Amino acid sequence: MKDKLIECIDWLRGKGVNYADCRFVRREKEALRVADTHVESFSRDLNAGVGIRVLFDGAWGFAATALLTPAQLKKTAGQALQIARASTLTKHEPVKLAEQEAFVDHYRSDCKKDPFEVPTEDKINLLMQVTELLRKSKKIKTAEASMDFYRTNKLFISTEGAEIEQDIIESGGGFYAVAFQANEAQRRSYPNSFGGDFTTRGYEFIEELRFLDHAERVREEAIALLKASPCPSKETTIIISAPQMALQVHESCGHPTELDRVLGTEISLAGGSFLTLDKLNQLKYGSDIVNITADATVPGGLGTFGYDDEGVKAQRNPLVRNGLFVGYLTSRETAPVINQCSNGTMRADGWNRLPIIRMTNINLEPGEWEIKDLIADTKDGIYFDLNKSWSIDDRRLNFQFGVEVAWEIKNGVLGRMFKNATYTGITPAFWNSCDAICNKNHWHVWGVPNCGKGEPMQIMHVAHGASPARFRNIKVGVSK
Amino acid sequence: MIGKEKLFAKLEKILAQSKADQTEIVFIGSESALTRYANSYIHQNVAENNYRIYFRSIAGNRVGVASTNSLLTDDLKTTLDNSLAIARTQPENPHFPGLPKPAKYKELNTFNDATAATSPRDRAKIVRRIIAQAAKKKFIMAGALSTSTDEIVILNSRGVRAYQPTTVCSVNMIAMSATSSGYASATSRNIAEIDFDRLAVQAVNKCERSQNPREIKPGDYEVLLEPPAIAEMLEWLNYVSFNCKPYQQGTSFLSGKIGKKLTSSQITLYDNALDDHSLAFPFDFEGVPKKKVFFLEKGIARGVVYDSVTAHKEKVKPTGHTLTPESANEGALGFNIFMAPGKVKRERMIAGIKKGILVTRFHYLNGYIDPRNAVLTGMTRDGTFLVENGEIVCGLKNLRFTDSFLRAFDSVIAISKEVERHDSWWSAVGCMTIPAVHLGSFRFSGKTDF
Repeated sequence: MKDKLIECIDWLRGKGVNYADCRFVRREKEALRVADTHVESFSRDLNAGVGIRVLFDGAWGFAATALLTPAQLKKTAGQALQIARASTLTKHEPVKLAEQEAFVDHYRSDCKKDPFEVPTEDKINLLMQVTELLRKSKKIKTAEASMDFYRTNKLFISTEGAEIEQDIIESGGGFYAVAFQANEAQRRSYPNSFGGDFTTRGYEFIEELRFLDHAERVREEAIALLKASPCPSKETTIIISAPQMALQVHESCGHPTELDRVLGTEISLAGGSFLTLDKLNQLKYGSDIVNITADATVPGGLGTFGYDDEGVKAQRNPLVRNGLFVGYLTSRETAPVINQCSNGTMRADGWNRLPIIRMTNINLEPGEWEIKDLIADTKDGIYFDLNKSWSIDDRRLNFQFGVEVAWEIKNGVLGRMFKNATYTGITPAFWNSCDAICNKNHWHVWGVPNCGKGEPMQIMHVAHGASPARFRNIKVGVSK
Repeated sequence: MIGKEKLFAKLEKILAQSKADQTEIVFIGSESALTRYANSYIHQNVAENNYRIYFRSIAGNRVGVASTNSLLTDDLKTTLDNSLAIARTQPENPHFPGLPKPAKYKELNTFNDATAATSPRDRAKIVRRIIAQAAKKKFIMAGALSTSTDEIVILNSRGVRAYQPTTVCSVNMIAMSATSSGYASATSRNIAEIDFDRLAVQAVNKCERSQNPREIKPGDYEVLLEPPAIAEMLEWLNYVSFNCKPYQQGTSFLSGKIGKKLTSSQITLYDNALDDHSLAFPFDFEGVPKKKVFFLEKGIARGVVYDSVTAHKEKVKPTGHTLTPESANEGALGFNIFMAPGKVKRERMIAGIKKGILVTRFHYLNGYIDPRNAVLTGMTRDGTFLVENGEIVCGLKNLRFTDSFLRAFDSVIAISKEVERHDSWWSAVGCMTIPAVHLGSFRFSGKTDF
């Protein structure tokens, strides 16, 4: 394959392109879903192809094909060139790319136990045991457990001389139960909602999740939610659990720091960002204890890799330092706008998609509190756990997030349970109200395998390190 | 395009080699292109040629799925064998009813030569025209124009043989000033049916009229929801309530409510993939013919869409709404949802509002807060207006709504005669066909700064 890609690159070079890259991606996926007493679906997918990106006369073209013969690849290279020529019809300023070292390297993610080698029976048995435990009450209407595994091989060749190969294994899973009674249905999940937790590690991660140790609690909490009171509508102190903090970081910090959104190039779908260029190094995004970092090098993070899909080496950079907004997620095209080089966040959802700026591991750095001390220190408030609903405006200011379960905090003790709980806020005001963050003992990198962005739609695997945190004067519930 | 004869010839040979009790092959071949523009120039311009070939092998009642995007005969045979190996590792699934039998499909013309022949330069020229409309007002334009050609084939060992070629052209555009934005969109199988200039003028007009927006206090208002806003709401309800899976789990607002009146009698919602007013398509992804399914008929709960597995669980007939094999765990979805039109001309609807809010579209809706009560939340976007005494007064800063669809749509005052098509989750096989709706009560729960 490498020789075929180099041939394409040489052909494009001969056509006078400003720049071109060819990316071969081969991805295997295995997905298992157990529903109640049976395997609801079990599928394996193999997907491979080449995407060719061309910058010609200062305008972009991209074409991709699943047909991997030399003739088809050359045809696709020609198509990308033809598309770039068409793009020049509306060109303003020619695209210029930030300088970039041309790496020659091979990156492999850490994997102790290849998930594709684990016997299928073992995986199904574990998931079956989970749903059996969940269904030990007649109030559980549905119990589902799942695992997903990916093995990706990528080869990147550019006209600048980059030759980068990457092999990445991803593993993840989770389960949920839906309790039902009368006119009420409530869901509880582990370890996170919407598919669980994910990493760039092997099957050892699934074993560490210890599904069976958590099934009984999940079942009982789902049942308890049936009788829980609705979340009250008021302004109060809230403590947000680590997985919900991951969602909070994702929506209100990760997306608005994407420089392509800031520059308006994602308007047609996802929208823009309130973090306009004038706010860099000026805006007090959060309180002094808020430190948020983009770190594509965290071991095992779902947003961890060797190089992005422009050949930029993975790196760690601050986005918010001591509450001050100090950095964007950038690409080779956007970074020069702020007089920087790319910080390596361009990724594509497969060979058939154009790389765009994506979150890596966007982490809220740990603070100093133990969770028990933080709850004990809270006189009156609500504890929010595991995401259930998410909504935020197209500049990432007004958000409203709902959770699976909430608990009242009275005089430093968790009390009665609330259902259908939501909290809402305006992003900078919210982060400036943060007065406590839990320490590294409670910090975990949560994998998010379903971040949507771009047209055509691209689903990206990203992650967020987070621990529980406390916020003051937050509006909870929705008043009638 | 590979073509019907070549595809069947290739796939029949693979099917004949299966050692499973029953076998199904789903083929989706796609040539698609999308020209994306922002800040009034083309910044992303892509094309793709891809295939999805799914094999579903049945051993007893055990089901295995394997898929590939390779057309090489050896790869196809290996994937077929893998699907049977997967099936054999599983326990029996009592809910699997077997693969469907052959059926007759409605003949539909779903392919348009002009759309299929659209070149990158053709798309760029159209985009240039769209941008030019915004430039007249010194606005900038952002959006996307896509054209695609698909071939979908279903065949199984019980004799199902289904083939349908499709084309789709979709466009969206957002005109932007320093303080406002305006939206327009369209979708069609035939690119020549889309009036790009009229849409661009529509987006520009909305942008112009919503400049320097005022702030309004959140609360309960009359609203005129334009078709894109309603399409966004129905897309969520399709997933969390019209779908057999949440219905059977008890989380759908229709669960346990069939036959009960849930909204205004002016509201009729249904899925009908055989109606040419939609982007019609004759069968689902296991070759079951599409059926018309009512969700709400004159406000009364009627039913949901099914695939064959969920239909078997409930001892009803499948409705032709099965998803692709790798999405079997998602349940079934409506691909071609309609809201029945009313009797009022669209241009006269604003005249009926004493004090209310016109919403062009919503952003980032979510329907998981309380799906049993059809509670949705989301932000307005790209054209929100204050209406007083039957006239648009000014643009408004964007608002968050949090409300029950059932409560809000129990307050219907009028529904437009005219309907619009809006993109659904997969435009090759369908779209939403939606009127504008005037509601007497709609709850805005928050506001934002722009």
